[in-house]
Amino acid sequence: MKALQILIDGFAISALYGLGAVGFTLIFGVSGVLNLAHGGLMVVAALTGWLAAGELGLGTVLGTLVGILAGLVAAYATYAIVVRPIQRSRAIRPEEMEIFVLTGTLLWGIMIQVGMGYLFSDNPVTMRPLLPGVLTLGGVRTPVNEIMIAALCWISLGLMWLLVNRTRAGKALLAASMNPRGLTLLGYELSHIYLLVWTIYGLLAGTAGVLLASFLGVSTANAGQLTASAFSIVILGGLGSVSGSLIAAYVVGYLETATAYLIAPTLRPIPALILLVLVIYVRPQGLLGRR
Amino acid sequence: MVRLTRSPLLWVSLLVVLAAALLPLWVSAYLLGVLTAAYYFGVFAMAWDLLFGFAGEVNFGPTFLIGVGAYTAAILNGQQGVPLPLCVIAGAGAALLGGMLLAVPALRLRGPYFGLVTLVAVLLLQNAIVIFAHVTGGEIGMTVPDVLSIDASTNYWIALGFLVVCAILLFGLSRSSVGLILQASGQDAIEAEALGFNVTKHKIAAFCISAVFSGTAGAMLIFYMGTASVDTVIDIAIGVQVIIAAVLGGRRTILGAVLGAVFLILATEFLRPLGQLNTFVVSAVALAVILFFPDGLLGYALHRGERE
Amino acid sequence: MTEGVRLQVRDLSKRFGGLIAVKAMSFDLRAGEIVGLIGPNGSGKSTIMSLIMGIVRPDAGSIKLDGVNIAGWAPHRIARAGIGIVFQHSRPLQRQTVLENIKLALLPDSLLRLVADVGVDERARAIAARVGLTAVLHRHPWTLPFADLRRMELAKAIARDPQVVLIDEPFAGLTRGEIAMFSDLIRWFRDQGRAVLMVDHSVKSVAALADRVIAMALGERVAEGSADEVMQNETVRRVYIGGKIEAVARTKSLTEADALLRIEDLSVRYGKAPALDRVGLKVRRGEFVSIVGLNGAGKTTLFNAVSGLVPYAGRILFADSDLKTKTAATIARGGVVQCPESRELFGAMSVRENLDIGGQHLSKAEREAQLSWLFELFPILKARQAQAARTLSGGEQQMLAIARALTMQPRLLMLDEPTLGLAPVILAQLSAALERLRTTTPITLLLAEQNVTFALPHADRVYLLDHGQITWEGTPTHFAGERGAGYL
Repeated sequence: MKALQILIDGFAISALYGLGAVGFTLIFGVSGVLNLAHGGLMVVAALTGWLAAGELGLGTVLGTLVGILAGLVAAYATYAIVVRPIQRSRAIRPEEMEIFVLTGTLLWGIMIQVGMGYLFSDNPVTMRPLLPGVLTLGGVRTPVNEIMIAALCWISLGLMWLLVNRTRAGKALLAASMNPRGLTLLGYELSHIYLLVWTIYGLLAGTAGVLLASFLGVSTANAGQLTASAFSIVILGGLGSVSGSLIAAYVVGYLETATAYLIAPTLRPIPALILLVLVIYVRPQGLLGRR
Repeated sequence: MVRLTRSPLLWVSLLVVLAAALLPLWVSAYLLGVLTAAYYFGVFAMAWDLLFGFAGEVNFGPTFLIGVGAYTAAILNGQQGVPLPLCVIAGAGAALLGGMLLAVPALRLRGPYFGLVTLVAVLLLQNAIVIFAHVTGGEIGMTVPDVLSIDASTNYWIALGFLVVCAILLFGLSRSSVGLILQASGQDAIEAEALGFNVTKHKIAAFCISAVFSGTAGAMLIFYMGTASVDTVIDIAIGVQVIIAAVLGGRRTILGAVLGAVFLILATEFLRPLGQLNTFVVSAVALAVILFFPDGLLGYALHRGERE
Repeated sequence: MTEGVRLQVRDLSKRFGGLIAVKAMSFDLRAGEIVGLIGPNGSGKSTIMSLIMGIVRPDAGSIKLDGVNIAGWAPHRIARAGIGIVFQHSRPLQRQTVLENIKLALLPDSLLRLVADVGVDERARAIAARVGLTAVLHRHPWTLPFADLRRMELAKAIARDPQVVLIDEPFAGLTRGEIAMFSDLIRWFRDQGRAVLMVDHSVKSVAALADRVIAMALGERVAEGSADEVMQNETVRRVYIGGKIEAVARTKSLTEADALLRIEDLSVRYGKAPALDRVGLKVRRGEFVSIVGLNGAGKTTLFNAVSGLVPYAGRILFADSDLKTKTAATIARGGVVQCPESRELFGAMSVRENLDIGGQHLSKAEREAQLSWLFELFPILKARQAQAARTLSGGEQQMLAIARALTMQPRLLMLDEPTLGLAPVILAQLSAALERLRTTTPITLLLAEQNVTFALPHADRVYLLDHGQITWEGTPTHFAGERGAGYL
């Protein structure tokens, strides 16, 4: 009984983690940016979606879309206000660039978190479920919403896979992550590529944020934790590897769910953190890491 | 040595310290309290600057080292009744071990990866505190029976004295031969090796030094405040403030970190009426500094005209 | 003045993944002698330096310093044992003054000595005087001219007081006067009884100084002897020049054709290092122009300037429009396509995918037609369509790189050292492909090569690029006659 419950709940939460982590690793693989404002973007999407659905009376579906859009706008803002100016700054030495971007996104993330807290208060918000009702799977009562969310996550990931592997623009993205100079020599403007990848990232993070609000609820206090889980998963899976991130997301998701059910809910994040420490000491490049 | 006495820096510093020492004569106890905390923060920031500015290692979780030192001291004093001075020393020792633990992955990972590792260290410590709540007081925190002093002025002078001693030691180190080697190790490890320096040894040393100062200051802070909690010495937000202080003041100046810390704490205090938004404002200012004055305020002042 | 062998290298080997960089290399360095180690890119000479200095660990073999095997030691230990290195690119500590930089080299590796010994300051000043840096002791490196930075590198080496000195490309970027001064200092090293190993691309550069020259190619020694002997050695000439220099007289008359590419007064600096110095050249529509020069001459820099990848001073005009204001991608789309030396393939993608990325603006039918033409030009690519690019052999990768460049439908195709590291049979295939391009398409071709034998047969005109300057221009037949002998 419990095993099945863990299986189902773990699947859903892992799917959500995966969606967020894939975005995080994508933006690193193509753009070279470790975005520590990641959780902040998800929170913006979640809170805006909730506001649109509830207060502004747009209903759950439209609210979700508005939330995703808000995530996109927040991603653009991150790129335009923080990342690109730092990358173009001539006052910073190239070797220190990554560290400055990291610090910049960290600060920006804090600004988002506090700003959102000011606008929305720190209370957790939950989106009304997209589809109400409860299903019984093999004796386990599961909210339909949870299944829907897992499905939506995988559909989003599938769409992204299609985009990257089957479209021209997507292939260009892939090429940019391998060899930006080679792509420039073939006549592609890297600035357009970066715009595309931040767009995809914004949509992924926004979707993950809104769905999380629907599943577990989100508050501004989660921002830091969400960023932390994303980069823990990505380090485990290997920075820059999308498949690695997905596998790691499931490992972490199931570890956490199993811990919460079998040991204690408060100890939820511990096994994953221990695993992370092991990986850092033993195999720093992660499961499938490239760089 | 002769050149030292003619240095304008020395005289300006002496004047500043003198002025600071005389402050309790006409400043309120409340403001003294704020400054006391700021001085301990200054030590945090200087220790961070030594590690980043000199050894080239970015520590995104300075509160790991601070927290280890602080909590070790607090637990020994609160649970075991160990006398205060010994607790501080124990805190420094525990932080030293923590520093060596961090040094190991640091030597094998490149910059941003290592930065993430330091963040993970803080998360782990935070979770450990919460799990072992029966010893540490968990999220609420714990109180310590011994304190440095009850009098605001005395606390202030202890903090100031501690800051001055640490500043002399750290600044002296930065200007010494060892400091030169550390800078070389941080700027160009291969060249440093080619010149015959064991970069690994020096980087570990930098971690240990940073750890000892951070841990000691953390322990002192606990005995000033009389309490230890996650929010005051471990939370990532505190760590970020340490980084902001050092960056604001100017990387690789050591003394700039003190200026940055004092400025930051005073600014946060000043902006308190804004409520939560004061963090927003401070972060925004720090972001602006990174974007427009990456060398920090002191760094910018010193290096103007020397820009690459 | 041979007092005995200082450094004994035996059977030294190193491979990087699938690439064999150094193969069972053996040689001796004696005290009081200057040895020149020469070879083209990919010969392994730079790797030898890194191996001796401990920056890279050898896979096999021994490096004995005064009888002690130091292979695999950490670099700082090797440095303290008495080996000093002067890197090709200056590595100053930017935030320290010149004096502090030199002092650093005099310091012991100690965590406890906070204050330097009394004599250090004095010794540092004496060394600075020796190399001519006294006037700039309190300046910071980024304010100094290029030659002074090189002087500082020499000063640091002197400070280390090494028994064996490794010098990488000692004269790159220096004027004639500066070269003389540096040569004096290097001779001074030798006269003090140290063993000096100089690594360089060209024999000419080291000829005046070296007592002995060792030539390398593809990781192995191919010749050893005096500078003259090595320059005349058959194998060495083949490795550099490619074989007997032949030239086919061009029948096309192009004097009426207008210039497609015009480069005027082009100068490029990397930081302080001069890479190109007032280069001027012209390529006419439909021409095949070869730029011939050794590695380090500036060929890649020239192409990168045209492609808009590096900032430059001077003018570059393509079809009468100035390229300076355009982005690199715009220049490529405008018809100036570079096939770089490093090929820049998308390793994890298949051959087909690599080719597809290029022809973005074409219709499906056009792309299909182009693809079949490319597969006809390079049949091996058709067979390997589905394979990942990084699994191809060197020659196949080069063909893929050229094919991919062609998918852009270039008006001007710039090929940078396509023959680098390839076997002769592949060269024949490439040569045939280039000939087809020249005769059957209107593409204007600009080829940069070290391998003169490859570069000459197709060319209408030849430029010689040496140390960042164009030193000769003419037809292939004239090149064979005038320059062939003294090329090395």
